[in-house]
Amino acid sequence: MVDQTTRFFEDLDRRGYEPLLAKISGTLRFDLHEGAQTSHWLLRVDRGELGVSREDREADTVVGTDPRFFGDMVAGGENAIAALLRGDMTVSGDLRLLLQVERIFPGPASSRGPRHEFRREAR
Amino acid sequence: MAQSNTIRILDGNTFVVSQDTGDIEATPSEPTGLFNLDTRFLSKWVLTVNGERLNALSYDDLQYYEARFFLVPGMATHYIDAKLSVIRERAVGGSFREQVTILNHDEKAVDLEVRMDAGSDFADLFEVKDEVLNKKGESYFEVEADRLRLGYRRGNFRRETVISASRPARYDKNGFAFSVHLEPNEEWDTSIEVDTFALGPGGRDLRMGLRAHGTERLALQHDLEEWIAKAPKVNSEHPELASTYRRSLIDLAALRFSPLSLGGQALPAAGLPWFMTMFGRDSIFTCLQVLPFVPDLSKTTLRILGAMQGTRFDDFRDEDPGRILHEMRYGESAAFEEQPHSPYYGSVDATPLFVILLDEYEKWTGDVALVHELERECRAALKWVDDYADLVGSGYIWYERRNSDTGLENQCWKDSWDSISYRDGTLPPFPRATCELQGYAYDAKIRAARLAREIWGDPAYADQLEREAAQLKERFNRDWWVEDGEYYALALDPEGRQCATLSSNIGHLLWSGIVDDDRAEKIAHHLVGPRLFTGWGVRTLAEGEVRYNPIGYHNGTIWPFDNSFIAWGLRRYGFAEEAGIIASGILDAARYFEGRLPEAFGGYRREQTKFPVEYPTACSPQAWSTGTPLLLLRTMLGLEPHEGHLAVEPMLPAGMGRIEVLDIPGRWGRVDAFARGRLEMDKLGD
Repeated sequence: MVDQTTRFFEDLDRRGYEPLLAKISGTLRFDLHEGAQTSHWLLRVDRGELGVSREDREADTVVGTDPRFFGDMVAGGENAIAALLRGDMTVSGDLRLLLQVERIFPGPASSRGPRHEFRREAR
Repeated sequence: MAQSNTIRILDGNTFVVSQDTGDIEATPSEPTGLFNLDTRFLSKWVLTVNGERLNALSYDDLQYYEARFFLVPGMATHYIDAKLSVIRERAVGGSFREQVTILNHDEKAVDLEVRMDAGSDFADLFEVKDEVLNKKGESYFEVEADRLRLGYRRGNFRRETVISASRPARYDKNGFAFSVHLEPNEEWDTSIEVDTFALGPGGRDLRMGLRAHGTERLALQHDLEEWIAKAPKVNSEHPELASTYRRSLIDLAALRFSPLSLGGQALPAAGLPWFMTMFGRDSIFTCLQVLPFVPDLSKTTLRILGAMQGTRFDDFRDEDPGRILHEMRYGESAAFEEQPHSPYYGSVDATPLFVILLDEYEKWTGDVALVHELERECRAALKWVDDYADLVGSGYIWYERRNSDTGLENQCWKDSWDSISYRDGTLPPFPRATCELQGYAYDAKIRAARLAREIWGDPAYADQLEREAAQLKERFNRDWWVEDGEYYALALDPEGRQCATLSSNIGHLLWSGIVDDDRAEKIAHHLVGPRLFTGWGVRTLAEGEVRYNPIGYHNGTIWPFDNSFIAWGLRRYGFAEEAGIIASGILDAARYFEGRLPEAFGGYRREQTKFPVEYPTACSPQAWSTGTPLLLLRTMLGLEPHEGHLAVEPMLPAGMGRIEVLDIPGRWGRVDAFARGRLEMDKLGD
């Protein structure tokens, strides 16, 4: 079974280009700690061009959290900015990169968006 | 005017609010303290000498980031015999530093026990006006040989205050103390450092490596001097205009705020002390006001708001793709999602205003590169207006919060719960649409059409936007015109019924250009007529409306910012005299506040109170009040960028005398503007 994190990064890799990230370039490493084990995802952004690998190498931004939390986050269950303020996720290096990449995380699955009056049932 | 005697100093998101002795003893009614990142890091900070509290002889708030207090021990009646003086000098800039100096004026030596009581409740800014009783986390302290550490922990959320002094002290969990021996005429001093930490796991500070400008006192001083030197100079025969302008410039410098994340770029925060954070609406309005004087603020504001533009649906945060944020907060309640400010998107005007600011900025500066850079964000904002804001499908911007617990009910600038009402005083159901929002949407489309045609090279998009704008204007003038009052309704309800109350919002419609030419004169007359105009300014709600109250927050007070845009709108439609009436009323009021206009003041008639009555809990300085004198100057001088040049068409009230504004920056380089007061005001406003 493929977990949410893997699905998320594979999707980014397939997407290849993300217009929301067209203004930024840099590398982000996500360190997912579970006990003594740490798994790594490396996201490379080059003016919107995306590349994903599992390398453990130096990056402009290093994000640390636990794998379950991260899985929830990339599925829209947790908000990255609140998590940062709360200390449930840490960042070192260039925070800006994360705040831009955070914008491509999905919103909560339960969020429906604006309720358009004209689409409602007749009152 | 009842002015609270609290002293405030600040630098960005760090500020100290204290009593006039420098002491801090926070209570719900007097929420003093040292604040940073929307968290109170000191709620107690009380200096005693031999167990005695000190009394203030005087204080100076020297600059926005520093203050000095002259104190003596004992009760007020004992002043004359004081043999000791105590001077407290403090500054903020990254951390909080205080120097305490004690002078012995006696001919005898003295032994003193100098003590500072220190404590922190780590209250979230949203809690400080309540009793802070049930914190969900736990407090802790560590007494070390050379410092006192106060902390608060809730899960991985940790905030710490670390206090240390330059001289050896005895630290305990409630503060620290010194034993001091002073010979006659000898003095003693120590400097105390208070550092604030926002710690994550592993003790890493959230803000590591992120500092806006230099945090040392000298760097702050230098930065302020440079800020003032770069701005245009204003000379005037009017006694207070030049000093009001200078006060505004300094306050604007103080209100610059660098969000945590964006590499030291600054934008105007909304206001001291409770709104030292990023606000979409307030930041944009302030930038529009001050563009002729400090254009750089607009550039950073546009970039930051663009970088935080909404990308998805999040009902808790009222976020949609393309929506510009309303408010960002960094405290415990945002962190634990007890409040939605991480960030919150619940305003509907910031998004069209974002487009308006980009166009206005380019007209002044010629910065085409930024218009290219933000093309995508601009298009997304306009798409939001059409796709997500039209909740009723009638071609207008509507609002209804999706976060029904902690979201905002009224998502326009008049955001208090009872600001939008029908004529009979009852409140309409949701969704609601207020009139000024439609003006902003119209203006945003017209302006974006110019950008599309001249800069993005997309004439088809430009045509489309202009077509939509024309249809909107026609529709609006049909649906919102109140026949029996001859003005535009404040709002529509979802059935399309008018909230036919007369309000200041109609002034914003002039600024946006959505008013049909043959109706503009009616609107101008209302704005300077007796129901709306008090002699100082235009009330938010007209006298005679059911909910009118001269000290009703959005139901009768005068908001200087509101008036500055109304004056700009009047000028746009050729009502220079009416604009002059409002400009001189507001500038006259500024005198009573030493050049620092408050957020709002009472809507009483001028002849009734003789002076403007400050609204009780108004924030000051507040960014868009601070920007007001600058926009009024622009309006009176008729400064308008025109085909690459700066057009100057002054229409000054006679009492203003001569005004010169030197070195106005823009695509023309630097240009001077001169004006002399000619308008006879006494013929008007009757």
